[in-house]
Amino acid sequence: MSLKSFSDDQLDALQETANIAMGQAGAVLARLLDHYVALSVPRAKPVQAADLAATVSAMLGPSLDLAVTAVRQSFQGRLRGEAISLFGTEGCSELADLLGHESGAGAEQQEELLLDVSNILVGAVLRGLGNQLHTDFAFSAPTLLGQEQGVAAILRRGPVDWVDALLLEVNFRLDPRNFSCHLVLLLPEESIDVLRQALDRMLGDI
Amino acid sequence: MATPVLVVDDSTMSRKLTMRALPADWNVELHQASGGEEALALCRQIKPRLMLLDLTMPGMDGFEVLEAMGREGLECVVVVISADIQPKAEARVLELGAVAFLPKPVDAGQLARVLRENGLS
Repeated sequence: MSLKSFSDDQLDALQETANIAMGQAGAVLARLLDHYVALSVPRAKPVQAADLAATVSAMLGPSLDLAVTAVRQSFQGRLRGEAISLFGTEGCSELADLLGHESGAGAEQQEELLLDVSNILVGAVLRGLGNQLHTDFAFSAPTLLGQEQGVAAILRRGPVDWVDALLLEVNFRLDPRNFSCHLVLLLPEESIDVLRQALDRMLGDI
Repeated sequence: MATPVLVVDDSTMSRKLTMRALPADWNVELHQASGGEEALALCRQIKPRLMLLDLTMPGMDGFEVLEAMGREGLECVVVVISADIQPKAEARVLELGAVAFLPKPVDAGQLARVLRENGLS
């Protein structure tokens, strides 16, 4: 699979759809944390399971690559796949503070907050995508993939049930705090055709 | 005479959706820019009455376009059409001189109302 199998129009529609979904999720996060959330321009990339760790590491850049905490959720529907939220370690420890918890939240409490935030973001992004693509998703409860480890170590471990996938990445960053979350959506090959058809329907309506 | 209107968005689809949302009976001369720098250059050149501006763009973003317009004293009615729908984004663009902030996907009725309120269309 390559993104060449997407036309320029389809790729543009995909990025714009992701942009709107991300904006909606960003607004939810901003309300939750009572801070302005800076949004990135969404990126789409083809990825092979074997290269996933290297691809994600390159996207995160050197500052985050060394130690992240990752949460995974799968989603099902006409489009299926998995969502991985990656949090920088410094940001993780700020989360309790941002949410107004007493300082020195325990490890267990911090983990729970991360799962909650991931769940809220993934839910909002998928709802935003689903509304625009006219499709519904069900999604699993979030689970912790790894804590304060390198991206390679975290992503190498999880067994994946796909070979080729489309990777969509968006980044939520709190200014001037350290908190940031990279949200990575992985759509395996059979979902890519469904996505392409949904994008064509959208483009056909313009 | 046709009113010069500049549509600024990095997404082709989004520019099309915005142009389609303009009142059908309004006589406009449409110009498009896919980024902030290009938008500013066109703004100086064609002096649009109305700019429909996206916020999240690679390179110079919509906030920076508004700041630069303020610095240069470029006069133009700016309506921001944004996927970033946070109240703080809205407050900031209004402070920078935009007359309205509309969420994406843009609603034709809302846009028509904003244009009427600002003596356009």
